[in-house]
Amino acid sequence: MAVLSLALTGCIPGRDGDDSDSASGTPDKIVIGATLPLTGTESKTGARFKQGYELAFEMENADGGIDVGGTKVPVELQLLDDTTDQAKAVNLAQRLITQDRVNFFLGTYSTALVEAQSTVAEQNKIPYVTGGGAATSIYAKGYTWVFGTLAPVANLATTEMEWIAEQQAAGALPKPAKVALVWENTSHGKDFRKGVQDFATAHPGSYEIVTDESFALDGKDFSAILSTVRAAKADLFMVDAHLPDFITMQRQYLSSNMCHQLITYGARGTESDAKTALGQTGVDYILSAVWWNKQQGNAGLNKEFVEKFTAMFGTAPEWYQALGYEAARSLFTAIARAGTVDKAAVRDQLSALDMDSILPGGKLRYPADKGGQADYPFVVQQNLPDGSSPIIYPAEVATGKGVAPNPTCHG
Amino acid sequence: MGEAFTLAVSAVLLAGFYSAMAYGLGLIYGVLRIVNLAHGGIIMAAAYLAWQLFDRFAIDPFLAIPIALVVFFAVGVAIYLGLVRFIPRGPAGGVQSLLLLFGVWLVIRNAAYLLFSGNEQVIHTTYATSSVSLLGGSFSVTRVAVFVVALVTLLALHLLLSRTFLGRSIRAVAQNPESATLVGIDVHRVYVISFGLGTALAGLAGVLASTLFAFTPSFGASELLKSFVIIVLGGLGSVVGIALGALVLAAAEVFAVYVVPPYLTAAVGFVLLVVVLVLRPGGLFGQRVLR
Amino acid sequence: MTRWRPVAGAAAAFLALYLAPVLLPIDEYTHDIVGLTFVFMAAALAWNWVGGYVGQISFGHSAMFGVGGFVAARAMTALDLPFVLAWLAGGLIAGGYALLWGHPTLRLRGPYFSIATIGVGEATRLIATYWSDFTGGSSGVSLPLAGNPSKFELYWYGLYLLAAAVAVSYWLRVSRIGLGLLAIKEDVEAAGDLGVNPTLYQDVVLFLSGVMVGVCGGFYASYQAFIDPQDMFSFDRSIGLILMAVIGGIGTVLGPIGGAVVFVIIQEYLLANYSDLYLGLYGLLLILIILFEPQGLTGLLRRLLRLRPHRFRRERREAAT
Repeated sequence: MAVLSLALTGCIPGRDGDDSDSASGTPDKIVIGATLPLTGTESKTGARFKQGYELAFEMENADGGIDVGGTKVPVELQLLDDTTDQAKAVNLAQRLITQDRVNFFLGTYSTALVEAQSTVAEQNKIPYVTGGGAATSIYAKGYTWVFGTLAPVANLATTEMEWIAEQQAAGALPKPAKVALVWENTSHGKDFRKGVQDFATAHPGSYEIVTDESFALDGKDFSAILSTVRAAKADLFMVDAHLPDFITMQRQYLSSNMCHQLITYGARGTESDAKTALGQTGVDYILSAVWWNKQQGNAGLNKEFVEKFTAMFGTAPEWYQALGYEAARSLFTAIARAGTVDKAAVRDQLSALDMDSILPGGKLRYPADKGGQADYPFVVQQNLPDGSSPIIYPAEVATGKGVAPNPTCHG
Repeated sequence: MGEAFTLAVSAVLLAGFYSAMAYGLGLIYGVLRIVNLAHGGIIMAAAYLAWQLFDRFAIDPFLAIPIALVVFFAVGVAIYLGLVRFIPRGPAGGVQSLLLLFGVWLVIRNAAYLLFSGNEQVIHTTYATSSVSLLGGSFSVTRVAVFVVALVTLLALHLLLSRTFLGRSIRAVAQNPESATLVGIDVHRVYVISFGLGTALAGLAGVLASTLFAFTPSFGASELLKSFVIIVLGGLGSVVGIALGALVLAAAEVFAVYVVPPYLTAAVGFVLLVVVLVLRPGGLFGQRVLR
Repeated sequence: MTRWRPVAGAAAAFLALYLAPVLLPIDEYTHDIVGLTFVFMAAALAWNWVGGYVGQISFGHSAMFGVGGFVAARAMTALDLPFVLAWLAGGLIAGGYALLWGHPTLRLRGPYFSIATIGVGEATRLIATYWSDFTGGSSGVSLPLAGNPSKFELYWYGLYLLAAAVAVSYWLRVSRIGLGLLAIKEDVEAAGDLGVNPTLYQDVVLFLSGVMVGVCGGFYASYQAFIDPQDMFSFDRSIGLILMAVIGGIGTVLGPIGGAVVFVIIQEYLLANYSDLYLGLYGLLLILIILFEPQGLTGLLRRLLRLRPHRFRRERREAAT
């Protein structure tokens, strides 16, 4: 067994070689650790976040790097693949932080993974910024090293419900409306559910929730839940799902010949992958609310981001890339403002951050009373048969007009 | 009429798929007394084969069935001759064959990861989202087609086992290998063919599954379990037994939405499995195998 | 072999591991990983009591690992139990859960039992994921960072767990129960004729195994400070225990320890760069072991020590017929 311990431990010296924390010297480079689901069920989204990170790092290094107390220091991204696996996301973060001694950390994507991984950051006291965890439960633990760029999912539901209420007032949707509420059994889904429920409670007599069911993340077969929904004879079909589950569920929904006056899958619907997998008619009139959209304005920071992104990758960015980009950029800004790579100083700058942003509202903050989670409104989009997905709400940024009820339902 | 009727028809459609899926496992167990833990892996691999054929050569999954049958028959023969042959028969080999075939499953899974990544795949045929009206309900075209294929397969199997010399040899070996040898049957050959046939059927099930569900390399675990539930429920007695077992499982799953939240319907099969095993220890495999 | 020699050897190894972090310059990451490995060793040993000593291959041990982990986590968050007591509570309830499904299913033999355990494991995982009041659903449970031991301290707790598991493994082998278990493994009915009560013996062993794996689950909850049902109850976790035991030598007293070392080394080595490769590698290892050396590393070691090639050839010939 002694041999065993040797075999496992190797001979790496120094458990007190903890030098990177010292604020004294300026390093030759700043290493930022990150993991993303580059394979596994969330690989499509992971790849998009990676693009966002890459653009942010490329732009920052284009002029020499981050200005740390007067010296330009290049930033380096050390990105590993967590394969959409929670245990792996945790282990890799542990490894990057305690063995590779990265200076800062950019979080992974999807609520479940961030929920697991952020604990490692908090334990090791390293600033952790994520563009991929939206659930409020992540930020309700009293952690002080974790910052989230995604606004809460409850806001998403609320924004969608506001548009629905407008349609009801105009007589386009029934009032009271029967709602089939279907949510992913994660904090993400629970926040969505809460958003819809709270809105319904605040508007008595307008909504009746006739189905309230959850499903497991990464489901392969939704026929049971869909038959429950079908039996409930609802008007509005409101789901919160991640991209793979959205595609699978919508496919089974269509093949069971189901139709509702309004369909939404939360933030999903406009993705090009969904159009490829389901066909244009398969995604027509789906309502979605997202954290960012390129139609939001073609000026200033937005213009720069969209142009540089298109030049680098040859495609237009979606909200995933924008959030990855903003998460990285806010970390760079905090480092520059701290003027040091000292972890506590950068953490303090993140807490106090107030920077111009491409996100709705134009400002990015990590308010302490929200546990470090950014808070801004959503934009509601709807897919139209011509392939476009204009912003239909709120009115001040709208680029098109929404359609309700769903014209594809016969009878 | 109405909802319960729709559910009943869905259950029957699902049962068709389930019986095709379970037969391969049942055949191998009946003849060789080995639980093919690689069954789920073969189903997954066949789904990927169908996807590749569709994606690269635009071959419709239903037309890919003959290809899959041939390919996976060969795979089954190879697994038998290369690995399973070396495991001793009888109770001592039971655990060994279980672990061996489990290893095969892990290798297949990993191979799929390396070749196709862990990304979820779906086959989007032009008719994937269309439906037909049937007896007043509306059902997915794909599910109906899968049901028809499964029915034809079961019929063909029944004819093979009851009307041909090969089929009779298989049944003889399943009943008693020693006396089968005495009457001049090449038992080794029957083992090889049965393993190949069982694997080919798993391949067929995989192709059918690829038209119904999204899949990743870890797909197949619950298919393996469900197959086992079915052969425990229905016994290996006959095609009818398998079909009945499949129907019980499908109905239990489909109608479970009335009793448990939809979320838990996937657990129904597993609970059913444990209950049936406990109530009928030793299983229904007992004596009359492949009557 | 006299009886004190293995005891003395184990005591020496324990002392060496106890002092190693203080005397040797071990880096933080390795230290933490070794601590966690102790616990996987303990769990693999516990699996082996059922899988190796009785010959009942369980694919459902993640159920007890998860139950132990969540009970311990809830005991710490809701009842404010000190962590050691919380682990014990988790272990006891996990042991009870093992009896609940094990008592009826242990009458099944061979593949029937194995398949039933797959069903138990998967059903438990689904129910646990759904039961979000207790497990937090897919979003899991976070443990308070204060009041929980640090990963640095957990090394020694892991070592204690391992020591306990080794002691029980040894005891189960040399005691009367061990002889009874061997008889059951060879032939259940004959064991009954010899006056061994198979039901009672198997229940006891499964309970002990469940308690140990449950305590390991509790340790894991403290170690990660965050647990969620999809991970705790995952099929891969059950597989991991089987692999460790089979690689090391199924049914041997200390084999699973060696298996766990190989398992963790492979995993750590491949984790960062080839995270997709390890399942297949384990599968290959499993196939090779079953075909060539069913006793795993232990068998290999014995063979190297004895250098008896004739026996090997005879076994191969037997296997081939």
